[in-house]
Amino acid sequence: MSEHEAGAVTFALKGRIDSLNAPEMERQLMEQLAGRADAPVEIDASELQYISSAGLRVLLRVKKTNPDMTITGVNSDVYEVLDMTGFTELMTVEKAYRTVSVEGCEEIGRGANGTIYRIDRDNVVKVYNNPDALEDIQHEREVARLALVLGIPTAISYDVVKVGDSYGSVFELLNASSFSKILATEPERMDWCVKEYVDMLRKIHGTLVPEGKLPDVRLTALGWAEFMRDYLPEEAGAKLVALVEAVPHDDHMIHGDYHTKNLELQNDEVLLIDMDTLAVGHPIFELASIYNSFVGYSEYDHEVIRRFQGFDRETGVTFWRKSLAAYLGTANEMKLREVEDKARVVGYTRMIRRSIRRRGLETPEGRAEIDLWKSELLELLERVDALTFDPDELELEAVVENLPYVQEFIDSHLEKTGCPPRAQMQIGLAAEEIFVNIASYAYAPEKGRAKVRVEVSGDPVTVTITFLDRGMPYDPLQKEDPDVTLPAEERDIGGLGILLTKKTMDDVAYEYRDGQNILTLKKKI
Amino acid sequence: MAQTVRLDLHMHTTVSDGTDTPEQLPEKVRKAGLRLFSVTDHDAVKACRILRDTLTEADPAFITGVEFSCRDEEGKYHILGYGYDPETEAVQRVVRTGHGFRMKKVRARLDFLKTEFGFTFPEEDLAELFEQDNPGKPHIGNLMVKYGYAPTKEKAITEYINKVRFRSEYVRPEEAIRGILGSGGIPVLAHPAFGSGDELIVGEEMDARLKRLTAMGLQGVEAFYSGFTPKLIRQMLEYADACGLYVTAGSDYHGTNKLIPLGDTGVDGTMDWPEGLHRFVEEIQGRTIYGGKI
Repeated sequence: MSEHEAGAVTFALKGRIDSLNAPEMERQLMEQLAGRADAPVEIDASELQYISSAGLRVLLRVKKTNPDMTITGVNSDVYEVLDMTGFTELMTVEKAYRTVSVEGCEEIGRGANGTIYRIDRDNVVKVYNNPDALEDIQHEREVARLALVLGIPTAISYDVVKVGDSYGSVFELLNASSFSKILATEPERMDWCVKEYVDMLRKIHGTLVPEGKLPDVRLTALGWAEFMRDYLPEEAGAKLVALVEAVPHDDHMIHGDYHTKNLELQNDEVLLIDMDTLAVGHPIFELASIYNSFVGYSEYDHEVIRRFQGFDRETGVTFWRKSLAAYLGTANEMKLREVEDKARVVGYTRMIRRSIRRRGLETPEGRAEIDLWKSELLELLERVDALTFDPDELELEAVVENLPYVQEFIDSHLEKTGCPPRAQMQIGLAAEEIFVNIASYAYAPEKGRAKVRVEVSGDPVTVTITFLDRGMPYDPLQKEDPDVTLPAEERDIGGLGILLTKKTMDDVAYEYRDGQNILTLKKKI
Repeated sequence: MAQTVRLDLHMHTTVSDGTDTPEQLPEKVRKAGLRLFSVTDHDAVKACRILRDTLTEADPAFITGVEFSCRDEEGKYHILGYGYDPETEAVQRVVRTGHGFRMKKVRARLDFLKTEFGFTFPEEDLAELFEQDNPGKPHIGNLMVKYGYAPTKEKAITEYINKVRFRSEYVRPEEAIRGILGSGGIPVLAHPAFGSGDELIVGEEMDARLKRLTAMGLQGVEAFYSGFTPKLIRQMLEYADACGLYVTAGSDYHGTNKLIPLGDTGVDGTMDWPEGLHRFVEEIQGRTIYGGKI
């Protein structure tokens, strides 16, 4: 092959190309391409203002003889036409971008894929970490548009620019301040921030996304869990994968990187930004990422959060705890701990994988951090049996000391239903009887966990309280079938309590199913 | 699925703005490996009459064709007609109307060039111009170059001929569709995404356009077209599917006037035909086919 044949054919398009001058452009192009079939073709479109379908036909014709074709320096108008007509999927089309400098600009946000700077009073630019980010930018634009259509207030980028060697997308963000900044500079507004933050979170999680529009975070998390298998004891690794696999598919939206730098207050409106991690899935995956942002990432090095969010670790931990309580609608410490533990399982998995992939194992600090997270994860894997959570269900260690949490959990549910005090007291006593029974005998002499579920339904309004434990099979309703392994005086007390329970409740039922003792109390109120 | 066959249903001869005569074309079609073709001159059926009388068993199969330039308040369209009987009054009336408007416009342009710029042409050139089946701006442009009024045909058109716009009379799409149907033909929208040739019509605009035209009796879309990308073809096939329309395939070959090879329609020899194209070929097999068998 001669040198002449090896080189690319370059051709500049200028001004307007329409049916009138397209034949001339075609003639010139064909002249240059004569005998050069299959040579790479580079069309320089930096001075092209407009191209009509007559011009497009010529480009398509060239593409048919010389398949290796690139168009560079395309302005936005021409790009739109090339995109609409499918040229962008047929050949390499490079847009012309204006250049923006972020030198000396305030950093107002930082996400998984990029950093956001304010470039002037009204505009911000998100600079992507990946230098080849055009597809990411396109993706983020699409998902942001989708979110907006589904009712989530967000800013949509209106321009793509070149920032150094990277690309950025430009948004209008007028006079806005991130929640991180508010928390750092106006700590007295913590509770207000929590409320707005949780309102937005609920809105996101309440948004149903049409099938196939967003990736399923569960599949992503499954990838993290599979990755961890190489770094965990076999049994723990298998359990981690099984836990993620058992999370049901959920078509509601999650943000994926929901921390306070990605929430902006613009005038009086709260706006969500940094939408590229938008997905669908169970809220536990979101809570995991939130836990990491405010607690997890700074567990080893407490200064991490200050560098990232601009406030200290204490603020981060408080914000997390308050937000979780507001999100779950409960102040019940046991309930909060239950959900937090589930979130931490996913959270540690994600952080460890991330750190290992960023060569965390190659430095002493990295190894120490990974070891800390790993020991927490292993401890959690011993006792967490599911990643899903239910606001009407409380899972906790079955010990007598936890009785107040069970009572508080039941009371807070009953109060919402306007339950008469007498019935509430009777239910409370019955629940106490059953829980103490489980705490005392179910796992003795070991310890184990129990679940309490509160359901209110129907007409007349009926409260159903279900206790579940995985202890030895035992039906407390069969008084004539006492457990002979227990001392006699304890049996008597239990028996008396059960009698009382049967009298005050409308229905008391026991069954043993799937390795669980299931005791159900029903009371019409 | 029924068998597929290499085909090209959109090409022009010297009767309109192609460079091959109706007599030259069949040999080229055969050499291009096509087994079924149609000639679709602008607003003219003359080539089809010639081919009907001259094609033999040895030639590729041929169906009559035409491409009417139409316009209404909503825009411009090129409407193809296939498998019609060129002797019927219905299609001939549309040809006459179109030709009449065209001649009126040529005369008006020549008048304008004379009064505005003082350009005149010898009688014999004008006579030759008027004898053409399909004279238009390019022909006048060529004459201007010939007599030194403009350096190139393109300049003649942009700098002189286009300086005046007429409130022209046009064949309306419903007239063309009615004419084709009335002559036993199938009306098909040519290169739908490109409008009358140099526009870009997609999305809702395309939806509305097809809705209007199918209400008038349109039966097909030229979803495969030499100027279409795979994406445009996909979109056109979706429209055809949604509206239950026939699908046709055409190159818009113009001889040496445009660098489009015969048979370049976007139908890939190895692909499965869409249902609408199968239906179209089946439908025309029930009509008159000239030349050899499909």
